[in-house]
Amino acid sequence: MPDEEVLEEGVLNPAKPEIQDPLLKSILAENGGLLAQAPVEQEQPAPLPDPVDEVDCVVIGTGAGGAPLLARLAMAGLKVVALEAGPRRDPTRDYATDEKAQHFLFWNDERLSAGQNPVAFGNNNSGTGVGGSTLHYTAYTPRAHRDDLRLFTDFGKGVDWPFGVEELEPYYEELEHFLGVSGPTPYPWDPPRRTGYPLAPLPLNGAALLMQKACAGLGIQTSPAANAALSARYYQEGVGWREACTNRGFCQAGCNRGAKASMDVTFLPLAEAHGAEIRADAFVTEIERDAKGRVTAVVYTQYGEQKRQRCRHLFLCAGAVETPRLLLLNELALTSGQVGKNFMAHPGMQVWGTFEEDIRPYKGIPGGLISEDTHRPTDADFVGGYLLQSIGVMPVTFASQMARKRKLWGQPLRDYMRSYNHTAGINILGDCLPHENNFLELADEKDVRGLPKPRVHFTAQENEQRMNAHAEKLMRQIWEAAGARDIWAYERYAHTIGTARMGLSGDDAVVNPEGRAFDVPNLYICDNSVFPSALSVNPALTIMALSLRTADKFLAAQQRLDR
Amino acid sequence: MASPHYPDGTVRALLQTDLVTEATRAALLPRLDTSEYTPQFFDEATYELLRAVAARIYPQPERPEPIELAPVVDKRLAQGDSDGWRYDAMPPDREAYRLGLGGINQAAQVLFQRPFGHLSEPQQDQVVAAVANGTAPGENWQHLPIDRFFEELLAELAEAYYSHPLAQEEIGYVGMADVPGWHRIEPNQLEAREPEEVKP
Repeated sequence: MPDEEVLEEGVLNPAKPEIQDPLLKSILAENGGLLAQAPVEQEQPAPLPDPVDEVDCVVIGTGAGGAPLLARLAMAGLKVVALEAGPRRDPTRDYATDEKAQHFLFWNDERLSAGQNPVAFGNNNSGTGVGGSTLHYTAYTPRAHRDDLRLFTDFGKGVDWPFGVEELEPYYEELEHFLGVSGPTPYPWDPPRRTGYPLAPLPLNGAALLMQKACAGLGIQTSPAANAALSARYYQEGVGWREACTNRGFCQAGCNRGAKASMDVTFLPLAEAHGAEIRADAFVTEIERDAKGRVTAVVYTQYGEQKRQRCRHLFLCAGAVETPRLLLLNELALTSGQVGKNFMAHPGMQVWGTFEEDIRPYKGIPGGLISEDTHRPTDADFVGGYLLQSIGVMPVTFASQMARKRKLWGQPLRDYMRSYNHTAGINILGDCLPHENNFLELADEKDVRGLPKPRVHFTAQENEQRMNAHAEKLMRQIWEAAGARDIWAYERYAHTIGTARMGLSGDDAVVNPEGRAFDVPNLYICDNSVFPSALSVNPALTIMALSLRTADKFLAAQQRLDR
Repeated sequence: MASPHYPDGTVRALLQTDLVTEATRAALLPRLDTSEYTPQFFDEATYELLRAVAARIYPQPERPEPIELAPVVDKRLAQGDSDGWRYDAMPPDREAYRLGLGGINQAAQVLFQRPFGHLSEPQQDQVVAAVANGTAPGENWQHLPIDRFFEELLAELAEAYYSHPLAQEEIGYVGMADVPGWHRIEPNQLEAREPEEVKP
């Protein structure tokens, strides 16, 4: 848009503008909108440590990457502070069962989406608040497969991880038991596991049962999925009793019951019980270094004030968009040239159908049933593989993506949506290969803080396209066998992965296999940005496993230094 | 199978019960407020244009008071809120709406020599169809990707419409009544509080 007004608009289009108008202010206050940045009573900012105070570790981000290691470091007796950009909420009081009302859970600062398959951010993949994206993850917790971490070895494409899955397995076991994962034992696609899931699977809802029956007829093996929502009341160390899931179906947003293992009801209370300090509404803007290039402090904004926290070590766990953005903004850890590169998003194609049966897709966990028969399909013309999941959906999300895909309007739109209660879906979660054309950069356009917005380029490459075609055909077959009519497919890309990859050498990777930046000795990165490849499973459990592993490697290294 | 219909009043009745949490009730009840809205962002003419377009995308001839969608858009733009992302090919949202709504009026002028608001409903539908097909005439479409604009407009209005308790009533959605939890979750299993379809 070349004219001046547009350019000005771009600069002035604030996510959170300074509101002068008294009327608008009062409206906003009533809606709990922008002005809700002020602390609510249970989160008065803790007294600031003396600015010369130095803590052992600062952790930026309290999601799946930051929370487990925060607890681990605190339990080891270190003085740790977590900085979380979003607010702290009380799920039982603040989480309405309403999609719009839970908008605050998402990272709603605008990101620019470029490429042939621009990725939707916000409610698709990015959370904010104490707990990060786990506040709104669907809590699918399949483990990565042995061969997910060695695509290059097996196919000559993609990249291998710098270690094997056996490095993660002890952490998978620990996490499944700590979080209280509900799932099938034995797990059909990985029978020789040392330990089973601690809780029985959650009950199957309409979409899951329809998919189960159709797959049985087609010779596709299925099983109830592993999910980090409690199928029974569960006692968790350091936290106490958590209540069982009531099939509220609202897992894509926030669980108001604490049955879903988000970080705010699991690792973060554990961390705080061991002395960790979590500062909410703390948006980090700067990372300071000394002449030797070591991180010395972080600067953040909290309730309109700029603050500094000195630290001996920094753990950057802000996710695959904000992590590289902070590195680029601060010109930090850039020597490999890999920061922002190889952005990946999981192919997450959905196929929807309309059924005679009354399904009510708002009941039960959204993804009750899984199949991993497509992990390495014999008829594949692509590298890697995918898994299949049944899906339920809430009406606003469903209407929105249906509108985007089908472009229905007028009476046909309303008629179609009247069939909402007869709708069921299946989707995939597929591997994605790193590619040089998919990357994140800083845009000229500024956000409300005056910082450049991130621009993310994503184009599904030939491998992703072939996988999508294979999966769409199969999912259509399943839904036809289940008796669906009016079947339609929605191509989408889920999760944010890559942009600060882990590897054996600083020539082509940002962090080493222990998560430490090659060119900054006291900077660690731990979130989905360090994934060298995307994996054929939902990422949360692996992010948490990496988080615990990074903490343990760090603690071991500190011990070696102490000796 | 014709589209199912559900009895009126189910969601409104549920909102008065303790089957709905206080937080949920506080989110939903204000949306039933039908008092007049004064636009904060759009000027009066543009606001009326948006209302007219929304009325064709969500025709509600059966409702004495249609669910108003324009205030949702106006409030969001006034606050500068985002949903977390934007197509890089699109200008910022405020500019996109200015250009897009202007483009709809331009198309109406070219096709029928009158502004959109002065056209008959079938004529308005032809203009909307031309935008939906990407064939609408108008200078603004040189500066705005027509397909992305229509997609964004449809999605935002869809989210506004189906967030409304009456629209949720229309499609038989009662997920907000979750206090007791859901036990009957298999196909064709309903809880007592889930409305049955009205048989024709």
